[in-house]
Amino acid sequence: MSTTRAFLYCYFSLGLFFFSGTRTVAQQIPERHIRIVVDMVQLNVAVTDSKGNYVIGLHPSDFAITEDRIPQKIATFEEGNEPAQRVADTAPPDNQPLAASADQQDQRLSAADLSMLVAGANVLVLFDTSNYMYRGFVFAQDAIADFIRSLENADKVAFYSYSRDLSRVAPLTSDRSRVLRGVRATVAGDDAALYNCLLLAVKDAAQYPGRKVVVVFSNGPDNASVVPPEDVAELAESTGTAIYMVSTAEAQLEPISTAVFERMTAATGGKAYFARTWKDEKQAFASIRDDLEHLYSLSYYPRPNPNRGWRTIKVKLVGQQFQKYHVRTRDGYRPQPSRFSSESASASLPGPGTK
Amino acid sequence: MKPRFCLLIFLSGISLCLGSYTRAHTWAAPPPAYFQSGNSGTEFSGDRSSPSEDEVLIPGPLRSFLRMAGISQQVSPEEVLPLLARNVVLHGYQSGRPTEFLILLSRYVRQAEELATLAGDGGMIRISNCDDVKPLLRILGYRVRQNCGQSSTSLVTADPQRAFSTIDSGFPLSELEEALQRGGPFTYSFAASPVPVLFNQRDWTTENKKSGAPAEDFLDTILRNPTLARLYWALSRMDPGSRAELARNLGLRKLLPFAAVLDMYGGQICVQSGRVVVPGGKRAESDWKDLVGASPDSPAEFVLELLKKDHGWLAAYFDALSHANQTQQEHFSEAHRLKRFYEGFRSPGVSGDAASRLVFRQAPALLLLVTRLSWDPTGEPHVPGNLQTWGEILRQRADGKVVRGWGKRSSGWQHPDQLVEAMFALSRVETELGPLQADVFLCELDSRRSPGERLSPQTVLLLADKFSEFSDQYLIFSEFSDLTDASIARFLGLAESLGKIPNHTLRGNAMGLFQANVGLWQILARQGQIANTDLDNSWREVIEPFAKISSAAQLFDAGRNSLGQLLRFATGKSNASQDAIIDLLAGPHQTSLEGQRMHQEVASKIRSVLDGQRLVSLDTLLALGEGLQELTRGIDVSASLAAAAGELREFEMPRPIFTGSERTRWAEGTYNNRHTELQMRTDLAKLVKSPRSRAELEAARGQLAPFLRDTLVGLNYAYYEPPGAQALHHNPLFVRSHDFSGETVMGIERLWQAPQVFGAGYPAGGGAHLVGSLADLAYVLSEVEEDFLAPQSVQALIWKQLVPTLLTDATVPRWWDVSRNELHAVALYQRAGEELLADSADNQELYNKVMPILSDRMMPQNLTRLEQALRQRQLDEVFAQLVPADTFYLAAEFRQRFPSDAASWGPAGKELESLSRLYPAEVSWERLSRDFGVPHAVLAQSYARELLNVKPFPALAGNGSRLMAESWDSSNLYWARLADELDYAPVTLNWLVPELTRRMVEKIFATDLEDWPAILRAMRETGEEFRQGKIPLLPTKEATSQP
Repeated sequence: MSTTRAFLYCYFSLGLFFFSGTRTVAQQIPERHIRIVVDMVQLNVAVTDSKGNYVIGLHPSDFAITEDRIPQKIATFEEGNEPAQRVADTAPPDNQPLAASADQQDQRLSAADLSMLVAGANVLVLFDTSNYMYRGFVFAQDAIADFIRSLENADKVAFYSYSRDLSRVAPLTSDRSRVLRGVRATVAGDDAALYNCLLLAVKDAAQYPGRKVVVVFSNGPDNASVVPPEDVAELAESTGTAIYMVSTAEAQLEPISTAVFERMTAATGGKAYFARTWKDEKQAFASIRDDLEHLYSLSYYPRPNPNRGWRTIKVKLVGQQFQKYHVRTRDGYRPQPSRFSSESASASLPGPGTK
Repeated sequence: MKPRFCLLIFLSGISLCLGSYTRAHTWAAPPPAYFQSGNSGTEFSGDRSSPSEDEVLIPGPLRSFLRMAGISQQVSPEEVLPLLARNVVLHGYQSGRPTEFLILLSRYVRQAEELATLAGDGGMIRISNCDDVKPLLRILGYRVRQNCGQSSTSLVTADPQRAFSTIDSGFPLSELEEALQRGGPFTYSFAASPVPVLFNQRDWTTENKKSGAPAEDFLDTILRNPTLARLYWALSRMDPGSRAELARNLGLRKLLPFAAVLDMYGGQICVQSGRVVVPGGKRAESDWKDLVGASPDSPAEFVLELLKKDHGWLAAYFDALSHANQTQQEHFSEAHRLKRFYEGFRSPGVSGDAASRLVFRQAPALLLLVTRLSWDPTGEPHVPGNLQTWGEILRQRADGKVVRGWGKRSSGWQHPDQLVEAMFALSRVETELGPLQADVFLCELDSRRSPGERLSPQTVLLLADKFSEFSDQYLIFSEFSDLTDASIARFLGLAESLGKIPNHTLRGNAMGLFQANVGLWQILARQGQIANTDLDNSWREVIEPFAKISSAAQLFDAGRNSLGQLLRFATGKSNASQDAIIDLLAGPHQTSLEGQRMHQEVASKIRSVLDGQRLVSLDTLLALGEGLQELTRGIDVSASLAAAAGELREFEMPRPIFTGSERTRWAEGTYNNRHTELQMRTDLAKLVKSPRSRAELEAARGQLAPFLRDTLVGLNYAYYEPPGAQALHHNPLFVRSHDFSGETVMGIERLWQAPQVFGAGYPAGGGAHLVGSLADLAYVLSEVEEDFLAPQSVQALIWKQLVPTLLTDATVPRWWDVSRNELHAVALYQRAGEELLADSADNQELYNKVMPILSDRMMPQNLTRLEQALRQRQLDEVFAQLVPADTFYLAAEFRQRFPSDAASWGPAGKELESLSRLYPAEVSWERLSRDFGVPHAVLAQSYARELLNVKPFPALAGNGSRLMAESWDSSNLYWARLADELDYAPVTLNWLVPELTRRMVEKIFATDLEDWPAILRAMRETGEEFRQGKIPLLPTKEATSQP
């Protein structure tokens, strides 16, 4: 269990729902504990005016967050690459079940942890090297190299490529040269399993605290994935990973890719860009970079919520003067039930010499 | 290897790089000697003069050339040209025209020549500053953007064709760019790379000229003359002495027309001491002389005639028999069987249908037949049932002239050889479900039974009759030979009746529930949690509740009762909570601390999959079923039932990205979640709260059946979770979408066979799902999940033919009851084998004992290489040639063949002997084979774990590709040795083996399907990393990827 995360445990005992007056059912349905693991929920929020310009200078009190219509209390707040500020006590609400256990108290965040959690974005670039990219391969490489060069120094970047399989070419690093060498080391060919590989990329990104985005450079089609885009989108939303898709007009000829790119990015709080050609992606890069620099990062600990399914998040601006602005963020998450025993998950395996 | 040839998919529509070689793809006729290779630059005419005739200079760094040629970076220089020739043959031409792979490779060679010229005599590209970079950039196809010498200086594409070659060949463009940013120098070694050539260059270039092609150097010859390339590849796979003999006495010219036959069937041809080694040895020589029309004493003549005869079919026969071990060969060489069986083999006809016409070798079943045919103690071929039964089986089949012909001939059969002769003929029939396959399976099944319990003729008839429909289900029969004929027949009868249930929904649920419980029985029986004495009884009790299913409520009751019976035999009680069942599946109860921890880990993994699939708990389902019956009896438990019923409605579909109409348009016939949608409409809470009739309550109980099916099927899926699986955790429809009755796919047949994967590559289709049965589930899940493993090399592939088997081998076996002595014995066997081999270098007598044993497992070329290394005392080289199963087998077989030869043993051998005296059962071959072997669903037609001693099988078409993968059984032996040497308890193998296998697969950097050395390298590298502590001992916890 990560020490930088605070976990809240909501135990729902189904057995409680059964009355004990009859001999049969209550005996046959053993008390069952399903633990819902809920981290601090982090949101990347873009606020734009009617012309698409970023609105800056907002304060925590300007935002209102609800989860399944339950108002939430903002725990941390950050604008762009400014340092994070603690807004509320980072401890979960008092009435959170089991929240006050000694175990949980130990995992409260220090100021340093907090800063790390919400500091500069981790950008994971995923490059389509499948046969679909063959003809534009070298131009796309140039474009990605440009994009990576353009990212602010504070950001860490990882570079992955995919075709039928994923290749983790350069792990998350602040060393741009290493990433650029990775870009130039890719090879083209094979089927395209975009959603398989995006799933893996999102899982990798999810391991890092703070803002994380996956930027996909793809020509679109997928002819090999076994997971559908819905599952990837849900995972990205549930892990607070924004997905940006950068593509060309070629992809727009294929309606499935267009639909997925636009809807998946919107659901996760990212955006899709379709330039005329790979040589013409500057605007997309600038836009992504702008997004990263102007996003508000908000976090909260969910208040008690019996919903074990999809939880809808709404972020609104408070105050009449802000109602003209547009707010973009992910639209929810699904807490995952975990029946792992904590003993098991943290247990060390026997090492050598244990007979 | 990923690069170049995968482009073929895109550019030529041939699915080569996935290894799914299509039968329709025939070898190209020799193309024109010249081809137009793109439109950039002139014909290559650089001087690649080599310092010697037996070396070829590859322009530029070898690494770049290998990238472009689709060859692993890990190969030795000796392997470069053979693999280049192979890739040219396999991927270079389509219908006589060069493919994009070859065009790109040729383009790179030209670019490399230009760079070599730029590099000059010193072989070093030197750029001192921004001013003199232009010639280099022109060759590379890039230009400088922004002024040179600035941090913003970068390189962008100027000539896409050249730029592609630059990038794809791995030119260090970033380093050049950084140098330009600094305005500093850039140097890059671009010296030519010498690689050895077979015979000498002139032999090949001269032959090329004779064939009418323009004179070019060796590299051009191989790239432009696929026939010559094929001969090169074929000869490179023969042992050096044999190919030298052929070259000397026949010459390339005479061999050239038979390059294809030699490629497919020549790997076993071996000339020793002036004679061809024939299958069956010396006493078979005269039969071979008759068959071939030349004596093995005249190798050149013999080989030439062998290749010529019957358009290569005799060579195919020779090669298949050479694959069999010596014992098998001896059987085949008796009583002139060789001639008789060849007559059968050639009887379907040999003209106009060359044995080397297609990409893969023909008659793949022949290899299986000669390798696995079993023999009675009398020395006669074993006949399951009797000859009359087989006559009847053949006569009943109406599929094809060959089968019908042998059916007619079968009435007069008096001798088992006549049946085998027919089977040789049937090996020519292109099917995976014919009488030959049934015969091979039934031989396997029968041979696992004690003599008094052989299959009755009626059962043989039944199994053969149902073979095409149920053969994959038979894997369980061969795994558990205690199942009686009656139990087998009962299973088939019940399965057939379930398959005939008229209601489609009920039928699918019934087939699924039935198989789910059978699958759980299989797991518990395999893990020894059902006593051997109870196997047959428990089987019957588990399947019998499904005898009469006409309603969903009956099905729910049958599923519940069947599960209860299973639990009764496994635990003594017919009730258990879901957690208890998971603990049971996780393995037998452990008493040691580490055993308990491992057990908990395995159980946690199962729970994690169930969580990912969001399946309703068994506890809830069974309690609801019971509660509904209580209501029927008038006991009011509605309040508690309502709460539990609410759980049925908790499942939510993934949030849709597509609208319904979009799915119809973009994934018609693929997206079908009717089963789940029906479940989501189930509202028992409403029903139990309101007044209800007995019939309504009965119907309500029936509504639980699909949920019960999913949870029990989910337990099967979870148990067989392959390492690195993702779909099982992130696609919550995966288990629910399993289509048992063919509801979602038009025209699918054989639903009791292993499931097929549908829906992959259809983004709007809701994800992949399985259609078919639960047979062979471990393998199929591995197929689904394999591409979530990420190769460590950017060029490497996950090999579709190989990786699912490797993953299955790490998933099915478990090590709960393995003793420390067993584990140590596995290590000792391998070390003792190494000692024997090392000692044989200085001991001719020992050498003469060791080599025949190894010849049963090794191809002649590898054996020769081993012998050479031994002669030169290069022990590291010796051991590099051997896979762990080789040394393990060597020690085991040596003990059996030479029990009194104690003096030959080294320290490990002596320790093994002493361990064997103290613990004979634990050290026995049978025990170790059971505990450290792997399933061979195709090769041995069983999921029973065992070690088979066979030579590596070649790549074959269709299901035959699994033969190749299943002939690798070294991984678990190696992991076990590693665990022993690092002092791990045997039970830790339950975590180590899947984890190490996953890492091994990600390290495989192979050039082709049959690149065993690449697998061996990957395995050893993984082991070395583990030894060095680079692999964490803690299980990697699933990232708690919450918001």
